[in-house]
Amino acid sequence: MKTKFLKLSLLALFIFTASCSSDDDNNEVIPVVTTKVSNLDASATTFTKFSFSENKVVTNDNWDIAFSKTTILVNGGVKKADTEPNRTGSGAVSIVSSTFANVTLFPAASTFAQDGTAAYAIPTGSGNGWYSYNMTTHIISPIAGKVFVVKTHDGKYAKFEILSYYKDAPATPSLESASSFYTFNFAYQANSTTTF
Amino acid sequence: MNFKITFFTVALFFQISFSQEVKKDSVKTNELSEVKVTTATRTERVLSSLPLPMTVITSEAIMKSGVTRLNEILSEQTGIILIPDESGFEGIQMQGLDAAYTMILIDGVPLVGRSAGVLDLSRVSVGNIERIEIVKGASSALYGSEAMGGVINVITKRPKKDMFSGSLSYRYATFNTSDANTNLLWKKKKFAANLFANFYSTDGYDLDKSIALKNVEPFYNFTIQPKIYYDFSENLKLIVNNRFYDMKMDNVAIINSENYKGDAKEKEWNSQIKFEHKWNSKLYSEYEFYTTNYKNDSFLNDQNNILFESAYYNQWLIRPEIRTTLSLGNDKLTGGVGLNYETLDRTYFEKSVNFNSQYIYLQYDYNPTEKWNLLAGFRYDNHSEYASQFSPKLAVNYKVNENFSLKSSVGYGYKAPDFRQLYFDFTNPSVGYTVMGYNVAEDRLNQLEEQGQLLSRVDGVNFIEPLKPESSININLGTFYKKNKLRLDVNAFYNSIENLIDTRVVAQKSNGQNVFSYFNISKIFTYGLEFNSTYDFTKEFSVSFGYQYLTAKDKSVLDNFEDYQYIRSSDLQTIQIKKSDYFGLYNRSKHTANVKFAYTIPKIKTDINLRVFYRSKYGLFDTNGNQILDKYDTFVDDYFLTNLSISKYIGDKFMLQAGANNLFDFTDPSQISNLAGRQFFGRIQYTF
Repeated sequence: MKTKFLKLSLLALFIFTASCSSDDDNNEVIPVVTTKVSNLDASATTFTKFSFSENKVVTNDNWDIAFSKTTILVNGGVKKADTEPNRTGSGAVSIVSSTFANVTLFPAASTFAQDGTAAYAIPTGSGNGWYSYNMTTHIISPIAGKVFVVKTHDGKYAKFEILSYYKDAPATPSLESASSFYTFNFAYQANSTTTF
Repeated sequence: MNFKITFFTVALFFQISFSQEVKKDSVKTNELSEVKVTTATRTERVLSSLPLPMTVITSEAIMKSGVTRLNEILSEQTGIILIPDESGFEGIQMQGLDAAYTMILIDGVPLVGRSAGVLDLSRVSVGNIERIEIVKGASSALYGSEAMGGVINVITKRPKKDMFSGSLSYRYATFNTSDANTNLLWKKKKFAANLFANFYSTDGYDLDKSIALKNVEPFYNFTIQPKIYYDFSENLKLIVNNRFYDMKMDNVAIINSENYKGDAKEKEWNSQIKFEHKWNSKLYSEYEFYTTNYKNDSFLNDQNNILFESAYYNQWLIRPEIRTTLSLGNDKLTGGVGLNYETLDRTYFEKSVNFNSQYIYLQYDYNPTEKWNLLAGFRYDNHSEYASQFSPKLAVNYKVNENFSLKSSVGYGYKAPDFRQLYFDFTNPSVGYTVMGYNVAEDRLNQLEEQGQLLSRVDGVNFIEPLKPESSININLGTFYKKNKLRLDVNAFYNSIENLIDTRVVAQKSNGQNVFSYFNISKIFTYGLEFNSTYDFTKEFSVSFGYQYLTAKDKSVLDNFEDYQYIRSSDLQTIQIKKSDYFGLYNRSKHTANVKFAYTIPKIKTDINLRVFYRSKYGLFDTNGNQILDKYDTFVDDYFLTNLSISKYIGDKFMLQAGANNLFDFTDPSQISNLAGRQFFGRIQYTF
């Protein structure tokens, strides 16, 4: 079992490097760097705001995405509840089904959505957005292959993928694992281009 | 693993090579008296000539195995797997179909009380069973809803001639488990009576001592089943059959690290009044009135002994039915008409609900020549809550020669939406999601919307069309072979199920959680092969081997695999997988097998019975983030179980028995909750 995972991981790594090297051939843009954020605390009802360009939790309006429990907001659109921060940016999200490394092109503009009164750009609830909830084990698992391409508050692009909802990202979380701690990978494209 | 495969291959070849030797050795031995069965056709038929796949467990086999409850003896049969549900009840998986699709009958009438889809089979004692008949494959053409995967009919003992006989038995086993039985049979001329009583108690078992909850908490139950028979004449006979069952169990829970304690009680009453009327040599009728009530009540108190939670479930079924069989030479025409009145009152229902249905069935058992048997039938159900159902079935048996026959059947099966799927109204107290039955969802959603509890409703969801029954097409193709010391049957099966009912999100609440309701969603299919054989090496020694291969998959997963193609590796990276990596439905093993050895030593009147069971790996839920079971998921490893029993007869009247279930003490506490460790037992039985 473990060796299969190893082989697959190696394969994924290979695809990743292969795609990176093809970017190098273009000689136009510097490939984006994938950064891992661990244990972002979203256990409070006040949203924890994150900036991709600064790679940190921020308290001002220059945030791109914000977390509270299983809800994820984007800095663009309408405010729905009092606990939410004001949307001051022009942010939006497009949901792509793929591996993280394979999302290299920005999705079409029509696929981006902002937080609305009816629904968030990243829908809440099991199976709707980024996670599934198992009624038997009561565990929340990020759905694999859901990559979120974010238009940031100032019109740049980033992509992110959630890896875990539990503290220290255990491979098999249990009910004892502390929840509402996000671990995710992101890549931020600072240049004006259409690829990651 | 390799060793295990080799072991079974060797076991199989062992048998084949020996069967070849038999041909040289032309001694004809024990002509088994032909087993007669009733469940498959509702008339008496010889097992070997039936065009349907069927298994019979005799009272002798039950006794020699040393087990005491229905779930235990069923779990020893080829192709039957017991699966624990959330409530801890063990349900039957047959031909890869869930427990909700097998109808359980006692003396031809159904048990009720599926609070979460699964019947608690441990409530049936095997102490007074004459035989258990298992029909596999869709049987809705005779039995209607629930019989989509098959029917299990438990037939109890009946005094046939003037007699007074009985048995007393006591069995003690590990976990302080006691089982005391008495069964008295009496008949004198026109009167006959039978009284069965059983008391069972156990301390339960605890596989993980580090948590305060046990896998099975202590409980006791008793069963009393009095039956009275009166023959008005040779041609008109009355049977009054009652069964009372009462269970009490410790109810323990840990909610948010707080301990709660209470009781859980189950009460069941079954009453069957039946007239058997022989009009003449050609016409025979049965008039039956059946009533059953299943109740459970449970409560939990907190540490200060203040009531924290209580739940109840109270279901009634009333069923009058008339059956008539007309014999036309070699052929038989059987018809039945009846009605069901069902009510259910339970926690999480707004009010008590009831179902009404009427049905009629007809079956023609046609024997044009010695070699051919054709069984054609249908059943029509008219129901108050869902569309009427027409369930046809056709089965053929062709006797190639005295020893070998071919059989095939095609049938339609269905399962009506149950009370829960229509009327549930449940909100999980700790997480906050809500599940609503289909028939009450619209009104409840409107209520929640008015109260401002809804964030949004999912577009395009409406409850205008009634929820459809789940339906299946079942095909079986098999053979039956019996010659000298070898008995062998093979059956290939295929089930295709449509309109499978599952939950789907219908709205989001302002707390961020979902509201679910039930919909006809997926299509699944199962196919496989079942093999059973018995070889009598000598009069004293016989070996039987059983094997089932099974594939069970969700068609919608195969059709929309792009939605499931990404998984997360152990270091949480996303990886793409292939369609062929899809393993199938949860809780299904590709391979299950058993080998049973029976050895008799006449000199010392002793029977030795050793049974080995194998189940290949299976998955319980998705562990890598793509919501399906694929080959990279974490599986429950394959395992072997061994049961041993030794019976010694003293004189004609006494029997002593000792043995062990799960002899090698195999457990997997984190993944297999219903597998207790080794259980030694001893039993004494007195028969007169």
